[in-house]
Amino acid sequence: MAVTQQEASARRGWRRRDRRGTAGLLAGPLIWLLLFFVIPVAFVAAYSVGAVDLFPTDPGVVSLASWQRLLTGGSVYMGLFWKSIRMSLTVSAIVVLLAYPTGYFLALCVGRRKYVLLLLIIAPFLTSYLLRVLAWKVILGDAGVINSFLSWTGMQSPDDPITWFLYSRFTVMLVLAYIWVPFVALPVFVSLDKLDKSLLEAASDLGASRWRTFVRVTLPLSLSGVFAAFLFVFIPTIGEFVTPLLVGGTSGYMYGNSIQDLFTKGLDWQTGSTLALFLLGVVAVLMAAFGRFLRVRAVVA
Amino acid sequence: MIRAIIPARTTTRGEAVMVEKRFTREVGRRDFLRYAGYAGMSVSMAGVLAACRDADTPSGGSSGSVKASIPPIEQEPGGLQVFDWSGYGNGDYYPKEEKKFLWGQYAKATGDTPEFALFENDDSAYTKVVAGARYDVAHPCGYRYGDWVDLGVMQPWDTSLISNFPSLNPKLMAAGQFDGQQYFVPMDWGFIAPLVNLDHVDGSDETFGVLFDERYKGKIAWIDTLNMMVVAGYTLGIENPWDMSDEELAEVRDFLVSKKGLVRFYWNQSYDFWLAFKKGEVWAGYSWPDTVGYADAAGMNYLYMQPKEGRISWVCGLGLFADTENYRHAHEYANSWASKEAAEFLLAYYYYGHTNTEADPSVVPDGVRTALGLDDPTVLDEPKAHPETHIPRRSIYQQYWSEVQAA
Amino acid sequence: MTEIATSPGARRALTIFFSSLVLFLYVPIVVLAVFSFNDGDVSFPLAGFTLDWYRRFFSNPKILQSLERSAIVAAISSVIAVGLGVTASFALLRRRFFGKSAVSALLFSPLVVPYLVFGISLLVIFTAVDKFLAASTGSYIGLGLHAVVIGHVVVSLPYTVLTIMPLLERLSVDLEEAAKDLGADPWQSFRRVTLPLLMPAIVSAFMIAFTLSFDEYAIASFLAGETPTWPVYLFAQLRVPSQLPQLLAVSSVVLVASLGVVLAAEIGRRLAERRYGDDLRPAP
Repeated sequence: MAVTQQEASARRGWRRRDRRGTAGLLAGPLIWLLLFFVIPVAFVAAYSVGAVDLFPTDPGVVSLASWQRLLTGGSVYMGLFWKSIRMSLTVSAIVVLLAYPTGYFLALCVGRRKYVLLLLIIAPFLTSYLLRVLAWKVILGDAGVINSFLSWTGMQSPDDPITWFLYSRFTVMLVLAYIWVPFVALPVFVSLDKLDKSLLEAASDLGASRWRTFVRVTLPLSLSGVFAAFLFVFIPTIGEFVTPLLVGGTSGYMYGNSIQDLFTKGLDWQTGSTLALFLLGVVAVLMAAFGRFLRVRAVVA
Repeated sequence: MIRAIIPARTTTRGEAVMVEKRFTREVGRRDFLRYAGYAGMSVSMAGVLAACRDADTPSGGSSGSVKASIPPIEQEPGGLQVFDWSGYGNGDYYPKEEKKFLWGQYAKATGDTPEFALFENDDSAYTKVVAGARYDVAHPCGYRYGDWVDLGVMQPWDTSLISNFPSLNPKLMAAGQFDGQQYFVPMDWGFIAPLVNLDHVDGSDETFGVLFDERYKGKIAWIDTLNMMVVAGYTLGIENPWDMSDEELAEVRDFLVSKKGLVRFYWNQSYDFWLAFKKGEVWAGYSWPDTVGYADAAGMNYLYMQPKEGRISWVCGLGLFADTENYRHAHEYANSWASKEAAEFLLAYYYYGHTNTEADPSVVPDGVRTALGLDDPTVLDEPKAHPETHIPRRSIYQQYWSEVQAA
Repeated sequence: MTEIATSPGARRALTIFFSSLVLFLYVPIVVLAVFSFNDGDVSFPLAGFTLDWYRRFFSNPKILQSLERSAIVAAISSVIAVGLGVTASFALLRRRFFGKSAVSALLFSPLVVPYLVFGISLLVIFTAVDKFLAASTGSYIGLGLHAVVIGHVVVSLPYTVLTIMPLLERLSVDLEEAAKDLGADPWQSFRRVTLPLLMPAIVSAFMIAFTLSFDEYAIASFLAGETPTWPVYLFAQLRVPSQLPQLLAVSSVVLVASLGVVLAAEIGRRLAERRYGDDLRPAP
């Protein structure tokens, strides 16, 4: 279509090899990350092979033993890794499905009230996470709001409350969705908000139904936002440990929890560093491989 | 803008003093450059390496010769820095009482107001010190004392400077002694034992086994620490659950995995357990004395068991940092904590015991006093109670425990 | 314009969906607010009405201080993160350079590093640098809110980039080009043309970074030193249940304050609309 052609030609014009400008743009973020992220990560990497040690109990020899144990499946952690990936995928899919209509509604249906409504859904998040989880415990507990309601209506005997509401995988998913939906709605909102409305008009002038317009025009145009939204929730959730810890009961133990425990309870920073770095490596590879999708414009039919 | 929010303490009281205080062990510039060249990494990374190597070597020479040259208290900078749990003097829970009972005597003796830095648990406290944080006095728990001493950052107390020291229970002082010296002065103590709701749980057989009892499926709470391995070890009759062999650990792991389905949740904060216990979400759980106090105050029909395997007892107490500039202040502070008034405050407000034998247990409600056995002079002795002990093979325990949790 | 995007039926469905989402988000907060007036602990049945927790909160300077610290840290770190996020997004989308995929991988990696591990390693490094400074110059920086800001910028940066990039990608370059042709320098063309168009993304990114920082515990607990932020303070308080209702009172007040901001924004919008009428309405 015309728009894409226009843009393509304009882009060619802009992508001059303006090295100084590029360096200027990149300097800030890169220096910040180099000093305050790469160096700490290098420290973790050094720890994982025993090149640094802080504890009297550390082995104090440089070796790849902890990497070997992890990668050859000699430990329980690989299983936890896949468990975390599975859970993260499920949660991300649910969250994106809920966030898309939210972002759509905000961007296309509410006119100028959109920022106020955005603030409205973000505002609860200034209340501490720990307290919000506590609230869910009160709501979902055996004598909580829902169970009390069920027994009041007579649907459930008060002596036999529904126990899987709390301390189960269901609870972990619920709380994670609760936390992420408003955040994930933001990139979706952003990508739909500046949608070229003339495209939608054109589609409707050509007789396309609204549903067809959505499927053929709106959705493809917002895909990069959806992809960003997915990454938004998927990546951090792989390493998530607080929610499983607080509401997951005995089935909530995840990869992130084992990193946390190795660093604190177990004082085994070497294994902990290895696990943290492995996760980081996997994600970096995924990002390098799929990062381009962020920029790929879906083909407009 | 960022400058403005750098805490004032970096510029108060003369830079040199502060620097001395936090970094007594010198990092040689030459070492630094050598590491930089050797590692061929960025400057800061080399700094890390230098610091880490540095932390390996224990800072010796803290006793004996140093003591002879300790300046009088007037020459110390004051502003004692205390690394502690919240509510132990910083005024978070009982602003007036904490100050009055825990360090009122200190304030009177020195005219100083201590500064508090808080930690959430023993793990994070130790981690922060390993990473380089330094204070004057810290208040960790007994099973971790060995780790702190091994790190080489602590020095022994001169107990002759603590006038209340003779009132402290000598049997309990042993936990703080290393190489014949009192590195930690144990103060507050408590138990680990099953707390059960007698409306639902049969209390006639007092045992840790209630935490693994099929009859209470879904109504049991475990704690989320390595101590669960130890409790299982006692239940299985293992000789020394604090230092188990691989075979014993495997046995404990298999046992815990087979019983895991009975558990509703693992608790991290005692208030989590207390709320669930009160609401009836769990009927039996691994418990500290504070929850016993709350259950008593709420009028619940509870039993704090005296399990046939023996309770586990814990102590926490004050340790002195090797590079403190407030040597005499710190001793005054420890003296204040060791007083009868401090002891009775801890009993009455937190339901924790205190090693001061002159404390009057009647400040605690009768029910709690009986439940904790405060009137029984032998309640802390073997075999009624086993002291919570240093776990030398911590990282191995952690491996087995994560296998339990991942199962 | 709205009629094009949705049919009346779909619009109603979306409104219902959005309302139930808001309900879902606010129910737990309302529960907390109810218990903040409860003369007992956080479990049913309710014991009685009291304002005591609010009294205790407002007379507790430590809570107020820690809230203030969190607000300062969140404000500064989100401004820096959004600034760096904008420049990084520009570089990634409008420039061609060697190692772009490596740079984008680096930008997104902080998403996945466990905050606890990151906090600990930053602490180790800051302490090492301080040690070096102390040995060579005799003064050092120390921990504190500035250290928390540094850590929070790192973890918020990928979120700001992820929020800004999809929009920047779609903004037509023609306008910037046109501005250039009219003699604007790159900064002017950015400020006059691109920035206003980019506003929705910048506002969203700021909101994300701010909330993230305001509620971040693990990094702050290692780097805040003796100046605990609100989540750090809160976590230390939870050791004793008697403190809890007071903290709930805090959360209710924070909520009311943020809803106040929402309300003020809405009123401001309506006033502006009344004053300028159609001028503000975006071109169709």
